[in-house]
Amino acid sequence: MNQTYAVAAVTSVVLATVLIGALGLRISRTTSDFYVASRTVRPALNAAAISGEYLSAASFLGIAGLVLVQGPAMLWYPVGYTAGYLVLLVLVAAPLRRSGAYTLSDFAEARLESRRARRLASLLVVGIGWLYLLPQLQGAGLTLEILTGAPDWVGGLLVALVVTGTVAAGGMRSITFVQAFQYWLKLTALLVPALFLLAAWYGDGAPRARFDAPAVLRDHTVVRIADTVRIGLAAPLTVTVTGSVDSVAYTGRTVTLAPGAHHVLGGTSLAFAPGSTLPERAADGSDPLGWSQPLAGGRDGHQLYATYGLILATFLGTMGLPHVAVRFYTSPHGRAARRTTLVVLGLVGAFYLLPGLYGALGRIYAPELALTGSADAAVLVLPDRILGGLLGDLLGALLAAGAFAAFLSTASGLTMSVAGVLTQDVLPSRASSRGVRHFRLATLLATAVPLAVGVVASKVPVADAVGLAFAVSASSFCPLLVLGIWWRRLTPPGAMAGLLLGGGSALAAVMATRAGLAPEGWAHTLMAWPAVWSVPLGFLTMVLVSLATPRRIPPGTPAILARLHLPEEITGAAPAQEARR
Amino acid sequence: MSGIALAAAAAAGAVLLAAGFVLGRSAARRGGRAADADLGTPVERATFHTLHTASLAAPPLRAGLTEETARKAARTLRSLLGTEALCLTDRGAVLAWDGPGEDHHRAHVPEQAAETLATGRSRSVHSGCDDPACPLRWAVIAPLTGEDGVLGALVAYGSRESAVLVRAATEVARWVSVQLELAELDRSRTRMVEAEIRALRAQISPHFIFNSLAAIASFVRTDPERARELLLEFADFTRYSFRKHGEFAQLADELRSIEQYLALAGARFGDRLKVTLQIAPEVLPVTLPFLCLQPLVENAVKHGLQERERGCRVTIAARDAGAEAVVTVEDDGIGMDPERLRAVLRGEHPAGSGIGLSNVDERLRQVYGAEHGLVIETGVGAGMKVTVRIPKYRPGVHPSAP
Amino acid sequence: MSEHQAARRSRRETVTYASALGDRPVPPPRPRPRTPHPPARSEIDEQTTLGHTYVRSLMRSQLRAALTALGALVLLVGPLPLLLALPAPETLVWAALGFGAYPVVWAVAHWYVRRAERNERDFTGLVETGSAETGSAETGSAGTGPVGTGSVGTGSVER
Repeated sequence: MNQTYAVAAVTSVVLATVLIGALGLRISRTTSDFYVASRTVRPALNAAAISGEYLSAASFLGIAGLVLVQGPAMLWYPVGYTAGYLVLLVLVAAPLRRSGAYTLSDFAEARLESRRARRLASLLVVGIGWLYLLPQLQGAGLTLEILTGAPDWVGGLLVALVVTGTVAAGGMRSITFVQAFQYWLKLTALLVPALFLLAAWYGDGAPRARFDAPAVLRDHTVVRIADTVRIGLAAPLTVTVTGSVDSVAYTGRTVTLAPGAHHVLGGTSLAFAPGSTLPERAADGSDPLGWSQPLAGGRDGHQLYATYGLILATFLGTMGLPHVAVRFYTSPHGRAARRTTLVVLGLVGAFYLLPGLYGALGRIYAPELALTGSADAAVLVLPDRILGGLLGDLLGALLAAGAFAAFLSTASGLTMSVAGVLTQDVLPSRASSRGVRHFRLATLLATAVPLAVGVVASKVPVADAVGLAFAVSASSFCPLLVLGIWWRRLTPPGAMAGLLLGGGSALAAVMATRAGLAPEGWAHTLMAWPAVWSVPLGFLTMVLVSLATPRRIPPGTPAILARLHLPEEITGAAPAQEARR
Repeated sequence: MSGIALAAAAAAGAVLLAAGFVLGRSAARRGGRAADADLGTPVERATFHTLHTASLAAPPLRAGLTEETARKAARTLRSLLGTEALCLTDRGAVLAWDGPGEDHHRAHVPEQAAETLATGRSRSVHSGCDDPACPLRWAVIAPLTGEDGVLGALVAYGSRESAVLVRAATEVARWVSVQLELAELDRSRTRMVEAEIRALRAQISPHFIFNSLAAIASFVRTDPERARELLLEFADFTRYSFRKHGEFAQLADELRSIEQYLALAGARFGDRLKVTLQIAPEVLPVTLPFLCLQPLVENAVKHGLQERERGCRVTIAARDAGAEAVVTVEDDGIGMDPERLRAVLRGEHPAGSGIGLSNVDERLRQVYGAEHGLVIETGVGAGMKVTVRIPKYRPGVHPSAP
Repeated sequence: MSEHQAARRSRRETVTYASALGDRPVPPPRPRPRTPHPPARSEIDEQTTLGHTYVRSLMRSQLRAALTALGALVLLVGPLPLLLALPAPETLVWAALGFGAYPVVWAVAHWYVRRAERNERDFTGLVETGSAETGSAETGSAGTGPVGTGSVGTGSVER
C-alpha cells in the first residue's frame, strides 16, 4: 500500500479537527437573521450528529474483521447497535429529554433527588466511557500500524493527544454541526470505496464468500505471523517457511506440514502457493481471537448463549452510553427527541449495511488476515488488494481518513462526557477551583487512563471490546432509566444497589476476562458475555431493594414522572418560538 | 450438533406458536374493544363533555353573587336541576328568577327564605300557592354559603314533594357555594398577580416602553406596515415579559424576547445600533431564570449609545461548554468605573444605574450558587463584557409555561 | 476587530460579586423568594399534583405502546438466533442479519413514534378541550332532565 496518500489523508483529518477545535465553528448572525440563530436544532440534523458520534471506527472496522474471521453470525453486532436505538426510542427517548437532564448523572439526581445516587451514576459513566474509549484508541493504533508500520501504541497516543488538546482548549464549540458532518464523511468514506470494490468483484466473476470451509488463497501469498499462533490442518500443506514452526527453524525452505496442530512462532513468514488452502487458527482461551469463537458456533450451547448475551447487551446498552445521552439534550422537546431517534435508526441502519460487505469481500480477497491477527484491518487493505494501483491507494486513503475521523469524533464525544462528569462529580473540588483548569485536568485524566490500560491489557478484537462497554451499560443504566421512567416506586437505595450489583458485576466479569483471569469453558463464556445474567440481576436488585425501602420513595416522584411523560403543550416547557411566523 | 439443532428447532417452534397465539388474542381483543381504556372510550368522552358543559354554569358565579351573575347562572342551574322554576337570593332580596310563576311567587320568597338565611339549614316547604293551574306546588330552600357564612339562598320549585328535588337542590346549592368560595379566592389571587406584574414591570424600564411606543408612533404615518410589525413585536415582547407565572424559561424563548427588544430599539436608533449574534444551537434548550438576559442587553444598548454619535455594536454570544452554556453580552460603549460597578453589585446604588446588573447577578447566585454570578469586564471608556455561565442541568430548575 | 478596540479592551478590569466584596464578609444569601417546589405555583404544578390520574393514564397508554413495540421486536428478532442455529443456508443468515433486520426495526420504530404521538394528541385533547369551549357557556340550558342522567349538555358539544 502506498503510505503517502494514507498519511496525507490522516494528517488532513487530524489538522481539520484541530483547526475546528481551535477556531470554533460558530454561527454568526446579524439581527435580521435572529430568528434563524435562535431556531432549535432540527431532528434530521441532530440525528446525523448523534449517528456521527455513535458510529465509531472501532465498531465498523471490528465488525468487518469479525465477519472475515468468523462469518455472518457476527452481523449480530451491527443489528444490535442499531436495534439498541429502537429500545432507547420506545422506553427512554422522550422522557429523558423532558427530564431536562444533560448527563445520566443529572437524570439520576433529578429522578431520585439524591446526591449519592448521582455520584454513583457518575462513577459508572466514567467507567463505561473508559471502557468505550479503550477500543477507540486501540483501533486507532491498529489503523496507523497498518498504514505506516508505526508501533501500535502510536495511533492511540495520537488520537488521545488530538482529542485532549481540542477538548481542553475549549471543546468542539458547536459540536452538532461537526458531528453531523462526521456522519456524512464516514458514510462517504465507506460507501464510495464499497461501490468500486463491488464493481471490481462483479468484474471478477462475483466469487462467493465461503465461511463453511477453509478459505482458498487466490494468489501467491506471504503471510507474516505477528503473534505466536497454533494452526490446525485438515490436510497436508506445503508452504515456504522463514522462521520457526514447531520449534524448528527454517530459512526460506519449502516444507510439507502433516495434518494436525502446529505451533507457529511470532515473526514467522509463511509463503503459500496459489490455490492452497489457508490453515485455520486453533482457538484456545488465551488466544484473543478466540474471544468471539462461541458466537460463531462450535461448542455446544455456547453459541446460543453468547448470541443472546450480545443481543441483550447491545439492545439495552445503547441507552446508557454517556455520549449518546447528552446529545438528546439538544432536541427542543420530547417529540423531537423521538423523531430524532427514528432518523438515527435509519442513518445507523443504512451505515451498518456496509461493514458486513467489507467482511465478506475480505473473506474472498484477504483471508490470510485471519491468520495474522490483524483482521480488524480488513477494511483498510481491501482497495489495495482488489483494485491496486492509484485508485486503490486513493480509496484506501479515503477509508483511512474516514476511520480516523471516526476515531476522533467518537473519542472526543466520549472524552467531553467523561471529562464533564469528572469535573462535576468525581474530582474533589471547591467552588474556587472549579472552572477551566479543573476541566483540563479532567480531560487529561479522561484520555490518559484508557490509553494506559490499552497498553497493558490483553488485545481482544475491537468489536468485542466495544461490546463489553455495552454489557456494563445495559446492566446498570438500562435498569435505572427504564425503572426510573416507568416505575413510581423506585427508591435511591434500590437504584444504587441495582447500579452497584448489576453494573458492578458486569464490570467485574468484563475486567476479569480482559485481564485473562477467567477460567476455561462455560465460566469463560459466562464472564465474557455477562449481559444475560447481569441485566436481570440489575433489574431484580433495583426492584427488590426499592420494595424493601418504601419510605425512601423520593417525595417529588409524582411531579417528576408527570414532567417526564406529559407533552410539552401541557407543561408549557417547549420553546414558544414556533408559535409565530 | 444435531441434538442442538433439534432443541433449537423445538424452541423456535414453541416461540412461533406463542407468537401466533399472542397475535391472535390481540387481534381478537381489538375487535371487541375499539378504544384505549386509559384515554377514554367515545362514551366516556361524551360523559366527560356532558360534565364539562354542566360545569359551564360555574364561570358566572366565579365573579361573585350579584344580580347579573345570578341571572346568568340561574338558567343553567335550572336545566341542571330539571325543576319547574328556580330562584336565587342574596341576604336581602331576590336576585334572579328562572321559569314560570314569577308574577305571584317572587314576592313570597324573602319570607320563605328568611329562616334558611338565619339558620343556614335547608328547608322543604309547601309553596303556598292557591292557583290550581300553577305548577309550583312545592319549594326546597337551600342556603348558599361563602367563607363568611350564609350569602344567600337557592329556591327550587317542583310540582310535588319529592326526595329527588330535595337531594338535587341541596347538592346544587352546595356546588354553588363552592363556586362562591372560589370566587373569593379568585379575587385574592388576582390581587397577587397584579402585584407580580407590578414587580416585573419594575424590571423593564418604563422609559423603554414610552420610547418604543413613541418610535412606533413615528412610523404610523411614514411607514404603516413597519409600524404594524413593530406593534406586533411590542405586543409579543410585553406579553412575554408580563407573563404571569414561572421562574424559569428556555434560552430560545429568552432570545426571542431579546430579538423583539432589539427590533424595537432598532426602530428608535436605526443604523446606530449594530448587533452581532453567535448562538450555538446546542444551548438553546438550556433553562435559565426568566428575564435574566434582557437587562444585560438593555444595559449594553444603553451604554453603547450614550454620548456617542457614531453608534455602537452589541455582541451576544451563547456557546456550548460541556455541562454549561456560556452566554456573553458585549458592547463597545462608554463602559463603567469598576469601583462604582462593585458598589452596585454590593447592593449600594450610588447613581441608580446598573440596578439591572445587580438584580440579575443576585438571582443567578441564588439559583446556581456563588460561582455562577456575573463576570463583568469593564473600564471607563473601555466598553463592557458580561459573562454568564449557566449549568445545563440544576435540580429544581425547570422551564414553565410562557 | 480594530486595534483601537483591542486597546480599549485591554483597559478593562474584571468585576464579580466576590471582587466587589473584597475583604468584606460575605453576607448570608438572602432567602430565595420562592423554593423550587412552592406551595401554590401556577396551574402547571396544580396539574402535576391534582392530575395524578391523568398522568398515570398517559403513562399506561404510552407503556402499552412501548411494550407492543418491544414485543414485536422480541417476537421478530428473539427466535432468530434459534432459527439460525439450525443448519440453515448461509445466504439466509446474510439476508436476515445483513439486510432484513434493519427495515423491520425501522418499521417498528415508525409505528411506535406514530402511536406515541397519537397518544399524546389524544391526551392533550382530553385535557384541553374543556377550556377551549368555555365560550359556549350557556348553550346547554335547554335540557330539563334530572341531575346526573348524563344527557345534559351533550347537545352543545355535538354542535
